[in-house]
Amino acid sequence: MKNTRVRKLTLTAIMSAMAGILMFIEFPLPFFPPFLKFDISDIPGVVMSFALGPIWGAVVVLVKNLIHMTSTRTAFVGELANFLVGAAFVIPAGIVYKKNRTKKGAILGLFVSTLSMTVIGYIVNLYITIPFYSRFMPMEEIINISSAANKFIKDLPTLVLFGITPFNLLKGAIISLITAVIYKPISPMLHRLVESKSHDLP
Amino acid sequence: MLKDITLGQYFPGNSFIHKLDAMMKLIFSILFLAVVFMVNNFLGYGVIAVFTALVIYISKVPFRFVLKGIKPLWIFILFTAALNLFMKDGQVLWQWGALRLTREGIIFSVFMIFRIVFLIMGTSMLTYTTSPIELTDGIERLLTPFGKMGMPTHELAMMMSIALRFVPTLLEETDKIMKAQAARGADFTSGSLIKRAKALLPLLVPLFISAFRRADELAIAMESRCYRGGEGRTKLNPSKIGANDFIGLFIVMVFAALVVSTNFVGWQGI
Repeated sequence: MKNTRVRKLTLTAIMSAMAGILMFIEFPLPFFPPFLKFDISDIPGVVMSFALGPIWGAVVVLVKNLIHMTSTRTAFVGELANFLVGAAFVIPAGIVYKKNRTKKGAILGLFVSTLSMTVIGYIVNLYITIPFYSRFMPMEEIINISSAANKFIKDLPTLVLFGITPFNLLKGAIISLITAVIYKPISPMLHRLVESKSHDLP
Repeated sequence: MLKDITLGQYFPGNSFIHKLDAMMKLIFSILFLAVVFMVNNFLGYGVIAVFTALVIYISKVPFRFVLKGIKPLWIFILFTAALNLFMKDGQVLWQWGALRLTREGIIFSVFMIFRIVFLIMGTSMLTYTTSPIELTDGIERLLTPFGKMGMPTHELAMMMSIALRFVPTLLEETDKIMKAQAARGADFTSGSLIKRAKALLPLLVPLFISAFRRADELAIAMESRCYRGGEGRTKLNPSKIGANDFIGLFIVMVFAALVVSTNFVGWQGI
């Protein structure tokens, strides 16, 4: 048993390092404001959540943000928001997949995850990120400009709903798609690694 | 492009600030952040500016190095400053079409610039004067109360150190795989979003496999050195909170009290 524990520890640590690197490979999406950068750093978290369980996925997201704290540019607020949203994505997928270990279960899990991330992302933006940014930016004026562009935007909640929620939905969908494609080829090795007692990797 | 990524931004030194205990420095920076957020007048910002300048001076981190930390954000600062300058309602000083310059706008922009600059400088001074390893140790000790409640703080810190150590290794690996796939005709930089997402697959699968292999090798290395968790584990350089840390704490407390008290007397501009 001890054997597997160390293996899980090193695996989680290295997955976190990988997530930390993927966080830097970000690209802006068309049609969205440039400060909403898209990154795929939640993929190692989802993979671990599928393979070892939801807790390990959440740990990957946590460690990723802890190592990002060593070069923070947002006074730790960005890291906190990223952790909450990332955990909201990674945990549901693991829970659903644990109950139903089939392809259907995996896809259902990713679907639930995308929804959960969208909802939590809405709450986090409304109560953490935006209040933080409103210390620097005139929010009322941003709302006024935005409502000129989109008549549904009237106040802060609608600004988040129409400005940021579609972005999170799309981000969840893309991460889900990539995970669904790569999980199958990598999972046999992952399971062998966690379950093996001795060094018998190819 | 990938080679430029560095996590952590330690500037080695031997100053009073460098020698402060990492956990105490973490607490100091959190206090500093809270203070920067609470202040609402120019006198308070003056005190913060003097304090920050002193910290930079004592730490002997070159000033241009500190400025480098702000550089990636200057477009953001400029953009928000412009937004604040021309969008704020208030007493109009100058108007040209839809653009209007108000007294409140000017004051708010100046406040905003101060806030961003000091926030970044404050957190950067922590990461400039504390190596990632010390910082990990500091976070571990800061989390000790949660450890008593059952949180595996040692494992968390261990994972953080491993992750930090493997970032450069995995970066090199990513670079190698990208070049290998590019030699086979893969294209990572152009095309539509779907195309670029698809291009990531031949990069991600080998990257995951090589990461798994590294995790396996590391587990074997740790096991053969009899690693068995945090209980009873000793350290080569155990950190101790000394007299200097209490002097530091005293100075930071005085500073915080001073800044907060300016909220009642300082000029707020509006």
